[in-house]
Amino acid sequence: MTHTHEKSSMLSQGVLIFIYLTVLTGLEFFVAITFNSVPLLVVMALVKAALVLYYYMHIYQLNAEHEGDHDSYEYKAGTNRIGLWLFLVSDSFVFGGLMVMRLNLLGMTRPHLNQNLGLFVTAVLLISSFFMNRGETQLRNGNRKGFLQNTMITIILGLFFLLGVVIVEWHTIAPIAEAILHLFGEPAGVEPLKPSSGVAGAAFFMMTGMHAFHVLTGLIFLAIVWVNGKRGLYDEKQYPVEAAAVYWHFVDVVWIFFYPALYLIGTAIG
Amino acid sequence: MNNNPLRKAFLFLVVAGAVGYGLGLGLDFLVAGNLNFSGSVASAFTLLFSFTAFFYGLYGYRGITRGLVWQVEGTLIGAFLITGIRAAMGATPIFGAFFFSEPAWVFGALSGVLSFIFGVGIMDDWIKWARGIDTPKYHEDEPGWEKYFSVSLDHKVIGIQYTVTALFLIAIGGTFALIFRTELAASQLQFLTTTFRLFNQTGPQLYNTLMSLHGILMIISILLGVSGIINYAVPFLVGAHDMAFPRMNAFAYWVAVPASVLMLMSLVLGGFDTGWTGYPPLSSRAPVGMQMFFLGVFTAGWSSILGALNVIATVLRMRAKGMTAMRLPIFVWAGIATSIIALTATQLIGLSFQLVMFQRLFGMGFFDATKGGNPVLFQHLFWFYSHPAVYVFVLPGLGIISELLPVFVRKPLFGYRWIAMSSLGIALVGFVVWAHHMFTSGMNEYLRVPFMYSTMLVAVPTGVKFFSWVATLWGGKIELPTPMLFVLGAIFIFLLGGITGPPNAMVAVDLHLHDTYWVVGHFHDTIFGGFVYPFFAAIYFWFPKATGRRMSELWGKVHFWLMTPSFLVLTFGMMFIGLRGMRRRIADYDVALGFDTTHLILTIAGYLIALSVLIFFINFFYSIKNGEKAEGNVWNSRSPEWLVPSPMHPHNYPVPFEVVGEPYDYGLPGSKYVEFAAVKGKKH
Repeated sequence: MTHTHEKSSMLSQGVLIFIYLTVLTGLEFFVAITFNSVPLLVVMALVKAALVLYYYMHIYQLNAEHEGDHDSYEYKAGTNRIGLWLFLVSDSFVFGGLMVMRLNLLGMTRPHLNQNLGLFVTAVLLISSFFMNRGETQLRNGNRKGFLQNTMITIILGLFFLLGVVIVEWHTIAPIAEAILHLFGEPAGVEPLKPSSGVAGAAFFMMTGMHAFHVLTGLIFLAIVWVNGKRGLYDEKQYPVEAAAVYWHFVDVVWIFFYPALYLIGTAIG
Repeated sequence: MNNNPLRKAFLFLVVAGAVGYGLGLGLDFLVAGNLNFSGSVASAFTLLFSFTAFFYGLYGYRGITRGLVWQVEGTLIGAFLITGIRAAMGATPIFGAFFFSEPAWVFGALSGVLSFIFGVGIMDDWIKWARGIDTPKYHEDEPGWEKYFSVSLDHKVIGIQYTVTALFLIAIGGTFALIFRTELAASQLQFLTTTFRLFNQTGPQLYNTLMSLHGILMIISILLGVSGIINYAVPFLVGAHDMAFPRMNAFAYWVAVPASVLMLMSLVLGGFDTGWTGYPPLSSRAPVGMQMFFLGVFTAGWSSILGALNVIATVLRMRAKGMTAMRLPIFVWAGIATSIIALTATQLIGLSFQLVMFQRLFGMGFFDATKGGNPVLFQHLFWFYSHPAVYVFVLPGLGIISELLPVFVRKPLFGYRWIAMSSLGIALVGFVVWAHHMFTSGMNEYLRVPFMYSTMLVAVPTGVKFFSWVATLWGGKIELPTPMLFVLGAIFIFLLGGITGPPNAMVAVDLHLHDTYWVVGHFHDTIFGGFVYPFFAAIYFWFPKATGRRMSELWGKVHFWLMTPSFLVLTFGMMFIGLRGMRRRIADYDVALGFDTTHLILTIAGYLIALSVLIFFINFFYSIKNGEKAEGNVWNSRSPEWLVPSPMHPHNYPVPFEVVGEPYDYGLPGSKYVEFAAVKGKKH
């Protein structure tokens, strides 16, 4: 399968990639709760990330030739694209550093967290990425309404993820958090993680906090794109939508690695 | 710049400083209950108020002044907000040792930085874009000096803003060095005594703060200086009309201004005694000044990252016709290599400092051994940036040497490809050597030998550069104007820095040399040779391009011939006592060690260097208005920027050029580097 530019096949390609991602995520969960093979989890995360990078983030567009007029919109969009990807490279060093921190401090242990809830929030983020891709594709196909609908779904799912992490996983509003955790099969009376309660808590809060900050900025970005898109600003000049989408998928790619690192690998400690 | 606004500015500085002092003293009295005349709170308010008022008097309420006013307001509002929230939640104590509690100061400082960015006006266009409003591609700059004090999108203006800010920080960092150098002139404590009190610090504590701030201010000034020269030169060297992202370019500069303010705040808010490295556990206990330092470095880091991103995008996308990879000016290659490091590794120092900040604020135990944390982890994260950072400092400098050398020997640059690739080689090897700073840290011992060998490997691409310089000089018609003197000085001093490096890389030797003045001497040699001398060379070289006037040759030569011997005495002396056991980062030493005479000589040498830099400053500012006119190709260079009149057009080249030959073929008859479109048209 290679990248394609035909209208309907681009939409169905998005669906196909989403199915692959779903299957791999399910497989990860299965591997984690059965024989917990770390190399296998790493490989699956890499495959997922590669799928998102190629089919959702269209990394191959960096290679596109834009000969001719340096003042054309096409050429400038190409320059902006390089700028955005350089920023993502830089940003991934932060997340890489956090991963090093986690591996150094926790090794083959992980914070005590509810794995079912982890799978659920991961699914929410992955589904949001699917809708983001769908919205972007529909804008490219000239369907502004479809773009707006799908972007709105992405924003709602993104907010859902953000609130899920901040309220439930961080235990900021204890009654709600306990009720939802109970729903996911968490036994009552388990002491929640605190930032100050040890390295597991510190690593967990730092990693999810940095990621949540990026989700928040991505949501702001998407909201701006939605409002301007509604006014028809991107019917011709579509680069801002592409940028918002690529950034949103990048946040997803980060979570593809953080999810196994926090919820799946190794044995749980308090 | 006429005298009137400057006089007004100083008047405002004094008045606002007095008002700030009184306010700070009063607030401190309300909380602490006694009058602390040399205390932190009064000093912090004095600093913020007087600095802001100075620019108000100079420039009026716009540009930088508006940014600074917003920063002061943002800091106070943010700090009072957190104080209010803490009071509402019943946290005790509501106020801290420096009027505000530590969380309030940190949040206030952060909100101050953000307020500055909005206040100075750099976000205006982006906010309009987000609201769907188009803005013009360019904004007209004000004529004259005023344009340097508000947001400009012209890369040449931004380059000069960077350079002048760097010079300002060099002056402050140098002054701090002179203060503690004076204390070191003789054994025993003379004026920084234990009974001395300033900014809530005793003499030895203040010594530590000044020593730490000397380090970090110089590092930030080097980063800004590097950005200054790169920003100024790279776009016109590759034939672009501006950087790829002019607004982000301006943002990268302006975010460094509040960062510098935070650095100075750290001095008055109790200081910090960790050195610029900020190792925990000491840094998790130091006063609030530590947090200001962390936040300042974090903010300045963004300047570095976004600047680097811009340079790479510019070179990839904005080159003139015919400017292929192997015809790029060598300085552009150096800029690319530097930017690769700055873009990626800088995130790690930001992260490591952020982790300590959070450890202090929220009790997260990353580096706290009692909670299972690992202090050595900090050193790994920190040095993953901070070692490559020295290549960020020196690579542009080495690029300037290679760029200017052929101009003044009238010969082609020897081994262009090797030089270009050696910059990338140094940058890449630089990523895998960081743990050589940690041989004595207690890290895993099996890491020592691999890091020793990777460190030695740096000498290979660096050696390539030296061979090229020597071969370029060989048989050339050497001219010796001021820029060339600094280039030759740079080569000589960087060689000294280079050959004193390998002993530190050897594990067996380093265990003894670690934390001695030997390392201080080695480091100053590399940075003076790799950055300071080329930086001065670049300023002397491109000054006519920027102003249309030359700096005085005579005083330039005095600057060089005063600075070089003094500097050699300084670093040789440092290495000499270092080998005999002088420890670094200490305020006092035992008289029995017999270092008193050497230290006195070092202090005198330090003052002579300061004098030579003062001469440079006077020459610099005097020549802007009164220098000898030089609007043509002053240095008889082949580079395209010298083929158009100085100062340059706001968008660089009114007619685009095409690259038709090799950049450094000096002295080869009939060879051509660039051809301007209009000239070509006339011929046919």
